[in-house]
Order: sequence, then C-alpha cells, then structure tokens
Amino acid sequence: MRQSGDTLLVSRLSTLADAELVGRCRAGDAEAWNELVERFSRYVYAVTVRGFRLRAEDAEDVFQEVFARVYTHLHTLRDDDALRPWIGQLTRRLCIDSLARSGREQPGEPEAEEGRDRTAEIDEAMAVRDAMTALPEACQEILDRFFARDQSYRTISSELELPAGTIASRIARCLGKLREELEGRTEPPTASSE
Amino acid sequence: MDDERYLDKSLTAFLDAIAARERAPGGGSAAALTVACAAGLVAMVARSSRDVWKDAPGVAAQALTLQDRASALMHWDAEAWEQALDALRAAADPTPLDVERNGPRRDFALEQKLERAAAIPLEIAEIGADTANLAAQTGEHGDLAYRADACVAAALAAGGARAAAHLVEVNLGMRIGDERLARARASQTAAAEAAETMHAAIR
Repeated sequence: MRQSGDTLLVSRLSTLADAELVGRCRAGDAEAWNELVERFSRYVYAVTVRGFRLRAEDAEDVFQEVFARVYTHLHTLRDDDALRPWIGQLTRRLCIDSLARSGREQPGEPEAEEGRDRTAEIDEAMAVRDAMTALPEACQEILDRFFARDQSYRTISSELELPAGTIASRIARCLGKLREELEGRTEPPTASSE
Repeated sequence: MDDERYLDKSLTAFLDAIAARERAPGGGSAAALTVACAAGLVAMVARSSRDVWKDAPGVAAQALTLQDRASALMHWDAEAWEQALDALRAAADPTPLDVERNGPRRDFALEQKLERAAAIPLEIAEIGADTANLAAQTGEHGDLAYRADACVAAALAAGGARAAAHLVEVNLGMRIGDERLARARASQTAAAEAAETMHAAIR
C-alpha cells in the first residue's frame, strides 16, 4: 500500500528532534509549525488543566497565548534542544498570571505552588512518555499493558501469547532499558530571554 | 468508619474499624491490605537484592505498582459492598409506589451494584496472584538473606487471593459458570501454587 504525500510528510516531521523542528519553524516551514503545536499541545493542556487547574476558558486563553508567544519569540530561544523546558516555563508563567488575574490566587500562594509541583510531575511523565518511544515495540507494549492499562500477568501472557512465568522478568528488563534511555537524556538548560 | 480513605487513617484506626460492629470495612478490605503488605515485602526484598539480581529494580517497581493497586482497593471494596448492601435492603423491602414506578430500573441498579461488589474482589484476587508470582521469583533470584521474607510475601499474597476469590463467589451468588468466577479461582490456584513452590524450595 502507498502512503499519500501528506501522510509521509507528517510521519517524517514527527520523527524530527525538537532542535531540528525549531530550525524548520524558524525557516518558515508551515508544516513544521503544525507539528510543533501537535507535539506540545497535550503538554501545554496538561500543565494548564491538571497542573494549575485553570477553568476551561482560562486554560483555552493560556493555550492560545503560549503558542502565540512561541511563534513570535522562537528566535529568542538560545538552545534549540531546550524547546520543551522553554514552553513549560512559558506555560507556567502564563498560568500564574491567569490565576492572579482571576483573583483565585496571588503568585507564590498555595495554588500556584501546587501547580508548580504538579507541573514537575507532568514534566516527569512526559519525559517517560518520550523515552518510551525509543524502546522496542515489544517493550512499549508490555510496559503499557502493565503500568498504564493495569493488566495482570495472566492477561498479558494470554493476549501476547508469552509464557506466564516470563512476564515479570520481561517487564523488569524493559524497565531497565527505559531507565538507560532516561539517564542517557541530558537535562537541557532553559534558554531564552522570553 | 467515615468517608475518609482508609489509606489516610493510621493503622490503629483501620484495625479498630475492621473490628467495629459496622458493615465495612470487612473481608474485602482486609484481603486488599494483606495483598498490599505482601507486595511491599516483595519490593523490600527486591530493593535489597540489587547487587545479586539485575532484574531487581524492575521487579521492585512492579511490586510497588501492585501495592498501590491493592491498597487503593481497600477503600473501593468497602464502598462497593456498602452500596450493594443498601441496594439489597431496598430491594427486599420496597414501597408499593417504588415497585410501580421504578421496578425494572431498580433491578438494573441493584444488578450494577452487585456486579461492582464482585468486580473489586476479583481485582484483588488477580493482584494477589501477580504478587505471589513476583514473590516466588524474588525468593528464587533475590538475596538469600531475604528469602524468608519473600516466602512470607508469597503466603500472604496467596491468602489474600484466596479470600478475595471467596468473596467473588459469594457476591456473584448463584451464577455458576460465570467467567469471573473462573478467573477468580484461577488466580487463587496460581497464587497458591506460587506460594507452595516457594515454601517447598526452602524446606
């Protein structure tokens, strides 16, 4: 079966590293911008709604503002590998401003502080999610079934047609690979004047 | 016991609540706590075996996940059981108006509550089986100094799985041949076999 040109383009862009994506965006590639929004929209949404528990309309405003600022200030990003932390920092700042504007909290007060803590958890979850994509498919599958879908060893064994006694050790080895993947990723510095 | 989650209570308060003359917490919550303790022991043995077993960190992570799942069910089992009892009581003593207006709907609601009261112990039984399995592997490959703890973990997990499977059977009532009953019994058997293998190895 042949893939359409659009499908090939999207799948090619989705494999680009953040830094390469930034380069294409700076060069004015509209498809790259779509990919950037697609790649980070879930993250921004999670920080606004789960991290800072903004009301739906406030979350929508922050969401729009984050990507508007990314668009206008991308040239200020000093380290292209630091795209995610930059977007995270921008989102947090705009969430705190939104809380202050709505009168729910002043920056530095409990809701903003809790938001920062929850955002750290979201960052960690996103890092794990990214690292998962670098694992072999079999590992992604078995880790997803056990940790995300809460499946028992018996169910995993039966659905993947694997010996029941080997499931726990397979999961353990895949976790080892995930750990190596996470440890191999260096923490990029935050780098922007924005 | 009030609505506060059991995990937020002290162990003393939970044990007092178990012994109190109240409907819940009862057997399901106790089975869940037992399995959670077993999973905690497996995590402890695995964490202490990092130098001798390369899978130990991954096994510890799985044990902690099983512990989280089992401990959360302490609360949900009690809640589901209370709701099922309330529905049964209402069904046993309906007002004539209630029968006329809500008969079929009420039967459906009762059915749903009984289903949930069986689904939670089934989950506890399956977590018990997984925990016993993990305990047996930990006892076999982990640090020998902790093998007795792994053995205790397997026994506790098997006990919890058996208790929970019994509750599934009771809560499903007369439905012989129900697939969930078969799953609960399979979990009970798997957990018992894992514990027995573990015990036989250290005798």
